[in-house]
Amino acid sequence: MARSIWKGPFVDAYVLKKAEKSRDSGKSEVIKIWSRRSTILPQFVGLTFGVYNGQKHIPVAVTEEMIGQKFGEYSPTRTYYGHAADKKAKRK
Amino acid sequence: MAANDKVCVGAIAGAFGVQGEVRLKSFCADPAAIADYAPLTSEDGKRSFTVKITRAVAGGLAARMTGITTKEQADALKGATLWAERTKLPSLPDDEFYHADLIGLTVLDTGGAPVGTVHAVHNHGAGDILEILAPGQRNALLLPFTLAAVPTVDLTAGRIIVDLPEEA
Repeated sequence: MARSIWKGPFVDAYVLKKAEKSRDSGKSEVIKIWSRRSTILPQFVGLTFGVYNGQKHIPVAVTEEMIGQKFGEYSPTRTYYGHAADKKAKRK
Repeated sequence: MAANDKVCVGAIAGAFGVQGEVRLKSFCADPAAIADYAPLTSEDGKRSFTVKITRAVAGGLAARMTGITTKEQADALKGATLWAERTKLPSLPDDEFYHADLIGLTVLDTGGAPVGTVHAVHNHGAGDILEILAPGQRNALLLPFTLAAVPTVDLTAGRIIVDLPEEA
C-alpha cells in the first residue's frame, strides 16, 4: 500500500539537520548517513551523501532525477566487480 | 589484466549446438560490440579470431569464430578469455575515460602525497565512483568521479590528483 500523501515524504530528522548544516557551511564534504530509508528531497540536490551499505559509506551525489527515491537505492549492499572491457566513466 | 595494451572483452562459455558455433560471454557495455573489436586474441596472444555474432542465446551470444568449425573445437576453448587491442576502442571526448585506463593509476592528493591506486570504478546510479586502495590498508577509499574531487587525470603520466572531500 502506498504511503498517504498527507504525511509527506519520510526523512530521518538527523539527515535533514546534517544536510542543512552542510549547505550552510558551503564546503564540499561527504555527509555520512546511515539512513537508507530516507527519501531524497529537492533540498538535497547538489550535496554528496555517504550512504552506509553495511560496510562502508558509498558516495551519492544527489541530482534532480533522484528526488523521491530512497538513499539506499544508490548504495548496493553487494558488490560485483565484473570486467572493465569497454565500459566508460564520465567525470561530471 | 595481462598487459595494458590489451583489454579483456569476453570469454568463450563453450559450444553452442553441434555445428561449430560458440557461446560467447561479452563483457562489453553493449554486448554485441565485442565483434567490432576483432581480431580478438587468446590471453597468451597465440590465437587470433574474428567474430561473427549469429544471435542472442541464453547466457550470452551465439557466434562463429575463425578456426572453430566443430563442436569439439568449441568445447576445447571453454573458459578461454578473449582480448582486444586497446587501440581498437574508439577515442572518447574530454572527461570521459575507459575503466580499463583508470584502473591501476597512481592516486596523489593535491599536496603530491600518494593516496593509493585505483582498484575499480563503480556506478550504482548516482555517478561514477573510484575505489582507491592504499598500500597496507584493508578498507578502500571511495571517491565520486567529479571535477571537484578529481581535478586532474593524467593518463600519460599514469596518475590522478584528488582533492579529498571532508567528512561530515
